[in-house]
This record gives sequence, structure tokens and C-alpha cells, in this order.
Amino acid sequence: MNKQRRRLFIGLAFLLPNLLGFLIFTAGPVAFSFGAAFTNWDLQGSPVRFIGFDNFVNMATDNGFWLYLVNTFYFLIGIPLSIVGSLAVALLLDSKIRGIVVYRTLLYLPSVTSGVAVMILWKALYNPDFGPINRFIESVFGVQGPNWLLSTQNLAALGVEKVGFVPMQFGFGAREAILIMGIWGALGGGNTLLYLAALGNVPSELTEAAELDGANRWKVFRNVTWPQLAPTTFFILVMSFIGGLQGGFEQARVMTGGGPAGTTTTIAYYIYNKAFVELQMGFASAVSLVLFALIFAITLLNWKFGNRETTY
Amino acid sequence: MKASFLLTLLGLILLSMFAASLTPPLPGGKRTTLVWATDNNPVRAEQCALFNKLNPDLFLTIDPQNADSQKVIVQSIGGVGPDLFDGYSAENLENFVRAGIPLDVTDDFEKMDIDIYDLIWPTLLPGCVYRDRIYGFPRNANTNAVWYNKDLFDKAGVPYPKRDWSWHDLIATAKKLTVRDEAGKAKQFGFYWDFGNTGDLIFQSGGRQFSKDGTVSLIGSPEAIDAVQRSRDLLHKYKIAPSPMEEAALATQGGWGSGGITFLMGGRVAMAYGGRWWLNLMRSQKGLNLGCVPLPFTKQRLYQGGGGITMINRYSPKREAALRFLKFMSEKPYNDLINSQADAISPVKKYAYTEEFLFNPAYPQEDYNEIWRFVNEHAEAAEFSPFLKGTDIAPLKNQLDLVKNDLKPVPEAMKQAAIDTNERIKRNIEINPLYAKMYRELKGENP
Amino acid sequence: MAVRKRKLNLGPHIALVLLSVMALMPFIWMVLASFKELADVESPNLWPTSWHPENYAEVFRQIKYAQYYFNSAFIAAWVTFLTLVTSSMAAYSFARIQWPGRDSIFRLYLATMMIPGLVTMIPNFSLMVELRLLDSYTGLIVPAAFSAFGTFMLRQFMMSIHPSLDEAAEIDGAKPLQIFWDVVMPLCKPGLATLGIFTFMGSYGSFFWPLILVKSDHLRTLPIGMMYFDSVNGRQTNLIMAASVMSIIPLILLFIAGQKFFVKGIMLGGVKG
Repeated sequence: MNKQRRRLFIGLAFLLPNLLGFLIFTAGPVAFSFGAAFTNWDLQGSPVRFIGFDNFVNMATDNGFWLYLVNTFYFLIGIPLSIVGSLAVALLLDSKIRGIVVYRTLLYLPSVTSGVAVMILWKALYNPDFGPINRFIESVFGVQGPNWLLSTQNLAALGVEKVGFVPMQFGFGAREAILIMGIWGALGGGNTLLYLAALGNVPSELTEAAELDGANRWKVFRNVTWPQLAPTTFFILVMSFIGGLQGGFEQARVMTGGGPAGTTTTIAYYIYNKAFVELQMGFASAVSLVLFALIFAITLLNWKFGNRETTY
Repeated sequence: MKASFLLTLLGLILLSMFAASLTPPLPGGKRTTLVWATDNNPVRAEQCALFNKLNPDLFLTIDPQNADSQKVIVQSIGGVGPDLFDGYSAENLENFVRAGIPLDVTDDFEKMDIDIYDLIWPTLLPGCVYRDRIYGFPRNANTNAVWYNKDLFDKAGVPYPKRDWSWHDLIATAKKLTVRDEAGKAKQFGFYWDFGNTGDLIFQSGGRQFSKDGTVSLIGSPEAIDAVQRSRDLLHKYKIAPSPMEEAALATQGGWGSGGITFLMGGRVAMAYGGRWWLNLMRSQKGLNLGCVPLPFTKQRLYQGGGGITMINRYSPKREAALRFLKFMSEKPYNDLINSQADAISPVKKYAYTEEFLFNPAYPQEDYNEIWRFVNEHAEAAEFSPFLKGTDIAPLKNQLDLVKNDLKPVPEAMKQAAIDTNERIKRNIEINPLYAKMYRELKGENP
Repeated sequence: MAVRKRKLNLGPHIALVLLSVMALMPFIWMVLASFKELADVESPNLWPTSWHPENYAEVFRQIKYAQYYFNSAFIAAWVTFLTLVTSSMAAYSFARIQWPGRDSIFRLYLATMMIPGLVTMIPNFSLMVELRLLDSYTGLIVPAAFSAFGTFMLRQFMMSIHPSLDEAAEIDGAKPLQIFWDVVMPLCKPGLATLGIFTFMGSYGSFFWPLILVKSDHLRTLPIGMMYFDSVNGRQTNLIMAASVMSIIPLILLFIAGQKFFVKGIMLGGVKG
């Protein structure tokens, strides 16, 4: 008994610094947000009052909220693409060929440097007139490139004004520009590293045995390697959704200002604008809670359908 | 392991001491330093210098990176606000006052004998006065007019625009000055039109964006639709001004203010609707040969006017010094400086009615200064509704964006904008007791 | 493995070269643009018509680039250090000490990784306002120094170290702090290096928090400071590119230095604890 108490004491002592930070900067704020979401708190002198579900009602009746929610989901298309891409790159990098360290470094470069510097770079690359991307498209395909960051078009033909489809909106536009940049940044990045680590843990006896049985490469991959990677894939998937749903702020702030016509405004950028431009802290807290609920629900779903082999 | 962590900690502590030593001292030295959150237009430096010369015990310096109104509000609440800051409109003023940031200077002005109602251009009053209390003094006064590049006119053999020209003349002139290559891509446009100036056209056509009391959006009215249509046609029907796409394609690398100014300076547009303040950048380009005329009008000659309004932070411990700056802005040296710098025109009316204003010996080629006074005489402050806030103007902005990009017919877009905006006004009154009270007062006073 | 080794295979090389070119192209454009004259950035040629290395000096002349550089590195260094200390201690507690309630608290930690940063951003910001920490190094460093992710990652790593090691040390009479520093931590080097580099990079590139928190010029970090070249001051694409090139160099160096740790250091999902 005494020993157990001692362990509790030591365990808590080691945990304490992190726990304090956790309580002050995570748990406390979350609790605070739950309260603030039901007030009219606006940093602008209005006396703070409890207003029930008003913020949530206003959100639900704000056309913008739904548009931005659709935008946020639209950007999630990038997740499967970049997962498949990272896996492919990891498989390539896992082959024992010469110069692998060089390739690994080069391919990791985009994700090392992701951030404001690279977004400013892509903004210039996407310039419809003098940007190298359209130059390339024009010289190779002989057609004029899309207007990228200036265009409201998108591959799902989503309308601009209301949630829905408008055929003339079909094409490449700002959203695709941001998606492509995201995939470029993710290809050789952290996910690839995770896959590489996991590939290193796939027992080589298994793959060798399968190859000896005459299975072709694809079959070996499909039946041996892929199941072994499932926990990693699951982890990446969960983290990508969590990141993706609260993403899009930097892109909007640095590259597009959320435009054109709000098409690159995500929930994160909406929250930023409500909180730090309009100073509607209560309302912004309510939106962030809704985002939280969404992330929670999607993670649960992932857990339910994906978590077959992972244990922690 | 432990040692390396301890060493790192030690290193970081040393670095922190170094970092602390990097904090620059207040630039004013022993003098009382005043920080003014304003834009970083290069003319501010000279304005500060003049103030500092006339007030040797004070040192005024600008902080352009923190001039956004939300930054001023948040930083003031957080205890790191500026001493002086700028607003630009009645809407800004209202936001500031609600947040309790600006100092009420009504009584101080009375003591200092500053009668702003008498001194300043009427377009500036809504940005200074909220519910009969005064919160600031204007920095300058701006109303736009049409700049034109004489060389491009001469080259094309087109006569310069006349002061009493019509819209028909403007379009015909601009057409002659729009140059396209074989592919139809414009290399030069006759006109540059910032869609944000559509409000001027609404005034001209006798329309309004809001009812006088701000409770109803009138953007769907025939007059407003007519004005927006005119705005859109410049870009998409007559194709004499760059559309957003064409503008991005034309885009040079900017410069202070960017947009129309750089296009005009770069010879990419022959005419542009803009303010006198453009001059302070355009003067830097030697050999640029400019003229200017008022924008033609349809029903009435009425433009949107405004300007920067400087206010004092209520949380500032240096109120007295800050008040001296506002006083300085009401006096001749400052106003003369504004006029000679061409930072738009002087906020105090009477200083624009001088010989020095009309003919600046340093810039004898600027023979059009009278035009700037003239357009200010025919201006009214931009409209706003006190029942809308921040992105409540988003519906209108989005619809205008659609029109600007030629994605939606004007009447449809503006009617939708009016419906959405009126819904927001109604909702704001319903849910916000502050608005509700204001609304009741308004309706009570004007039954 | 042996089977694969014997095949001389050009396929992966071709694919990797192509991918590398794709990854590098934007950077090549970036570096070349950083040496161009402003007007030349728009020109169709990739190669500069004339070279302007003075762009780099111009960056330092127009903004306090050295100060921003220092700030970014300084803040990131503190954040990394504090994160490593607090996370490894917490991870040690979760992985190596049996105490009642441990696993439920750990699950709570795991759950908090789902909380969007945006939810805590607003209250944290007003906390900084209340504590008068707006516009200070402390406000930039401290809230970022406690990482649930780091705790999770190091805990996974520590779980993989055989428990007999610290049992042996305990029998020898070592105190928990001694075991922590002298037994467990040295074995965690790859994990610590990986977490350290990730944390450093994350902090070095962070944008949102400094954007809303910093007011003074001398406290700005690189991402915020660089925006100067793409603002109302005019878009000076060549200078942005020069500033960007300089800002990513430390990240590349750091990556190359830490590369050998990475794959070893990542022991996340799937590792049975």
C-alpha cells in the first residue's frame, strides 16, 4: 500500500509540469469555450450575457457558415490522395537502391519548408499570366491555363452563393490550387516517414515467404505488406482528419484572403475572422465547438471502422 | 544526458538575456514619446518631423503595423495600445466607441477653442462625431477624381478630357485608349475603375445604399441597380477598364497603394479614378505628365468623401501630449504641409482656399489643384448602417464580387443583396439589445 | 530482401528522379527568382537576365530580418527545450511508473489530441490579454511548451524499452530521477531527437499565434515579418523569395542533421505497448 502511494506520488510528480500546462492551456480553455459559446462576449464593450443557443442558431442560419463548411470538407479530398502518395513514395524509398538518402532528403524538402514562405512561393507560381505553372501548361498543352487562385471554379462544380452544384463552376480554381500545393507538401513528408518506419517493421520473412510462393509484387503488397501497415494508415488517417478539419487558415490568410468570393474560406478562417477581426469571441467559440464536435464524430467513426488492429 | 539538458538550459538563459537586450529603447530618448498607429504612407514621416520640431519636448513616432482597428482595440484592452490611432469612417468610429477605446475630446476641444463643425470638411464629421460627442480630429480629406496620363493621350492623338464631360465622353475616350494585341489581350486600358467606388455612382444616380436612419438597405432600388450596372459595364460591356482577371494579369509588382496608382504610373492605364493622395507616390516618377478632371455625373454631382480621423487612446497615460497633436492638426503648419505633400487635401477647409494650395511652387506643373477642392465641395460621407457590423456587409460584398466577375446579372444580384442585408439588419435588431434600443429610439424620435 | 537486392531495377530510380524534380521545381524557381530584378520576375525566362545578389542585402535593409531570424530561432529553441522536458517527464510517468489512475489519465491525454487548436486559441488569447502577456516572448513561448502529442510519442518510445532495465537500476538503489536521467533518457535519444526536430520546425513555422499575439516589430518572427514584402507596401516578389530562401536554410540543415534519427525515432501507432 505504502509502495503504491509512493508510486502515485512519483508518477504525479513527473507528470506535474506537463499536467499543469495541460490544465492551463488546454483543459481550462476548453471548459471556458464551452461557457463562452453561450454568451454574446465580443470584446467590444457589450455587457457579457448568457444568450442560450442564439450563437448556434445564428450560425445555422448563416449561409456563409454552410458554404465554408462545404469548403472545409472539399479540402479533405486531399487526404486520401496524399496518403496514397506518401505510401507510394515510402515504398519507393524503402527499396534498397543507391542514393536513397539523397532522394529521401530531396523528397522531404517540401514538407520541411511548408509554411508561409512556401505559400508565398506558390502564390507566385500560380499567377495566371506570368506564373511558371501556366507557362508550362501553355507550352505543353497549348491551351491557356486556369486562373487558379483567382477563380471560383472547382472540380465538384460547387456553386459560389449557395451550397449546391452549378455546372458552369466546373474547372480548376483556387481550391484545386490549394489542394495541389497541399499534396505536393505532403508527399515526402511526415506520413512518408511514418510509413517508412512501419515498412521497416514488416518482418522480411513474411514477404520473402510470399515471394517464394510465387506471388507477384502486387499480391505480396496487397496480402502481406498492406495489412501490416494498417495501424499506421489508421493513425495517419485519424491525424489527417483532425488536422484537415481545422486547416486552411494559413492558405486563406497568406494566399487568397479567403476568396475569391469566399471559396477558400474554411471553418478555421471563418473562426479567425469572427474572433480576431470582428472580435465576436462568443460566436467564434460556438463555431469552434461545432468544429470540435465534428472532429470528435469523425474520429469516432474512424475508430469504429478503422481500428481493427491497433492497440496502444 | 542530464548535463546536456542543463547546458542547453544555461545556453537558453544566456540567450534570453541577450534577447532582452535587443529591445530597442523608445526612440524619443528623454522626450515624451507618442506612438501613432497609422498607415505607413511615407508622408507620415514628414508630418511627425514637423510636429516634433514645433514641440521639442515631445517625440511622435508611427507604428504602421498595428493600425488595423481590431488590433488597436485588442491591444488597448491588453494594455499595449498606441497613444493615437486612426479611423476612416463612421462605422470605424462606432466600433471604437463601443469598445470604449477613444477618448471623448468634446470638452478639451471646447477649452482649446477648436470648433470642428466650423473648421473641417462636412464629409469628415461622421468619422469624428458619435452621438454629439467628439472623438477625434481628421488627418486629411479625400474625394476622388479622374487622373489621366497626358502622354498616352498625346501618343494616341486623343484630346484631353474636359471638365464638364459626360459619361458618354468618358467611355468613348477610354475606348480610343484601350490597346489590344492580336490575341485580343489588352496591353493598355483606357480607364481604371476600382469597384469599391460604386458608391459614388449610387450617389450620382440619386440613389442611396441605406435609408437615412440605416434601418433599410436600398441597394435593390432602381437607382442603385442602375449605378452598379454602370460600374459593371465599364469592365464587361465596354471593356475599357480591367476586369479582376485582367487586372491580375496586368499586375505589376505593386508599390505603396498598388492597383490603380501603379497601373497609371506604369502607363498601363490612361485614366484612373483615384485621390489626390496618389500624387505623393506619383511625384516620385519624373516625367510623368498628369492631368485631372472630375468624374462625369448622371443625375447629380455628388461624390463619396472621407478621410483619416486621428483619435486618442483612452488608456494612454499621455493624453495631454496626444491632445497637443490633435491641436496641431487643426493649425496652419500641418494643413499647409498636407496640401503641399498632396496627402489628399487639408482637413481644415479654409487652408485649401489659399494661393499656395492652388499653385505649389515646387510642382508648377500641377495646375489642377482647384479640381480637388471642387470635388470635395461636392461630396458627402460614405453611407453606413449602424445596424450592421463587420462581415454583415458580406452578402453585399459577395454579390458585388459576382457582378464584378460577370458571374451574375446586376438586378438579380443587387436584389438578393438587399434581401440578405435587410435580413441581417432585422436579425441584429432582434438578437442584440443594443441595436434594439437604438432602433426604438430612432423610431420613437421619427414616427 | 535478398531477392529484391539482386534485381537491377531502373524503375524506382526513374520514379524517384521524377518525384524529386517535382519536389524541387518550386524551389529552383524560388532561388532563381530571388536573384532577379523585380520586373524580371514576370518575364517568361526561368533564368535571370541579370543577377542581383544584392536582393539579399536589400531584405536586411528593408526589414529587421536578422532580428526576426533570431526571434524565430530563439522562440523555437525555448519551445523545443520545454516541450522535451515536460513531455519526456510525463511520458516517463505514463510508460514506466505504475500508479493508480494512470491509464485513464493517459486516455484523457490521447483524447485531447482531438481538440482543435482553434478551440483553445480564443481563451488562451484572452488569458494572455489578462496576464498582460500580449506582445512578449513569454506569451509566445509558454503556451506552446506543453504537448500531448509529444507525450504520446515519447511514451510509445519508452514502452519499447525493456522494463527490466529500470528494475535492475531500482534494485541497485537508484532514485526515480536517476533512472529517468541515466537509464531511460539516453535510450530515448532517437525519439527525443525526432520530437525535438518536429517541435522546432513546428514552432519555427508557426503563424497564427504570433500573428495575433505580437505587436512590436522587434518581437516579430520570420513568417510574420516576411509578409511585409507582400502587403500594402507593395509586392516585391524577388525580395520575398530571397527572404524565403534564407528562412528555410536552417530547416534543411536541421533535417539533414537529424535524418538518421527519424525512422528510428518514430514508434507511433501499431507498436504494441
